[in-house]
Amino acid sequence: MTNKSSLNLLAIGYHPEIMQVVHRLINSHNGWHGTIAESLAQAQQLLQNNAYDGILLCAGVSQADEAQVNNIATNTRIIRHYGGGSGLLENEIRIAFEI
Amino acid sequence: MSKYILHKEDSRHHEYNDWLESKKTFSFADYYNPKRIHFGALRVFNDDVVKATKGFGKHPHDNMEIISIPLQGSLIHKDNLGNEEVIRAGEIQVMSTGSGVFHSEYNHETAEDTRFLQIWIYPAALNVAPHYSRLTLQDAWFDNQFGTFVAPVASQKAAMIQQDAYLSMGKFNGDKEFTYTIQQNGNGAYLYVIDGSIDIDGHVLSSGDALGISDTAAFKGQVKSSSATILVIDVPMNIQL
Repeated sequence: MTNKSSLNLLAIGYHPEIMQVVHRLINSHNGWHGTIAESLAQAQQLLQNNAYDGILLCAGVSQADEAQVNNIATNTRIIRHYGGGSGLLENEIRIAFEI
Repeated sequence: MSKYILHKEDSRHHEYNDWLESKKTFSFADYYNPKRIHFGALRVFNDDVVKATKGFGKHPHDNMEIISIPLQGSLIHKDNLGNEEVIRAGEIQVMSTGSGVFHSEYNHETAEDTRFLQIWIYPAALNVAPHYSRLTLQDAWFDNQFGTFVAPVASQKAAMIQQDAYLSMGKFNGDKEFTYTIQQNGNGAYLYVIDGSIDIDGHVLSSGDALGISDTAAFKGQVKSSSATILVIDVPMNIQL
């Protein structure tokens, strides 16, 4: 079990307007910090240069892209976010980290 | 052997603010209960009452099947697909949000509350083209029988959803015995009592109560009040998230 009040999250999604909302929602939570990648290439670069507690897969990320992220971030928790910056986002993160 | 999960009306999470009263069956937004996350592919079941002219401003969704069922009053829906519709009690709307949709939902009534059920179901496939539909329900479809009004394939009597899921309703007379047959192997049924009282295998359910039933091909029930209106959400139970 990981009980963390502070989380550094990378959110990958290809719909810029939705990702703005996702970014705002993550950062509105005390102790959570979100970075947005709007392409797979950008995500790969960020993952090579930074450590994240978790990765959120958001709008537009296919299962093929998910497999590539899995290959790069083998030790990072990967969470599929459904709903597009919706009322599920906080729940999904809390479930993943058992917070 | 059938498995049951009982969600009594008073076990729902109840929230108020100056324009919205919301009863949430499953964890959503600030409500988090690890024992109440989903029933198979059914992820959200909110019973919302919105004050006159108030509502949910423009906001996005993706990769979720969202069904709205007004029980009282009307909603005005607008989205970036170009849809602008008023949905009244007796009608439903289905949004397959797929690769992304922005929409707003406001109470269209100028003086009355609008009550509606907000139901979210995980989609079978990711990032599909968004789709919106509205359907007018006919009383005859539900007269002492279950009528399916949301299904994986659109028809004159059913709006399409991007999942092997089905929504059905039945309006039964007092003492009537009813049978519901699960529509697809591997699915379970989440049964919600809109009004009245029923008994299913010794589980007595009243208005606002719900019963999840899985590992069965069909189930029987009996109406215990002068009439009863029942909603059944028939969803895949084994989903990969």
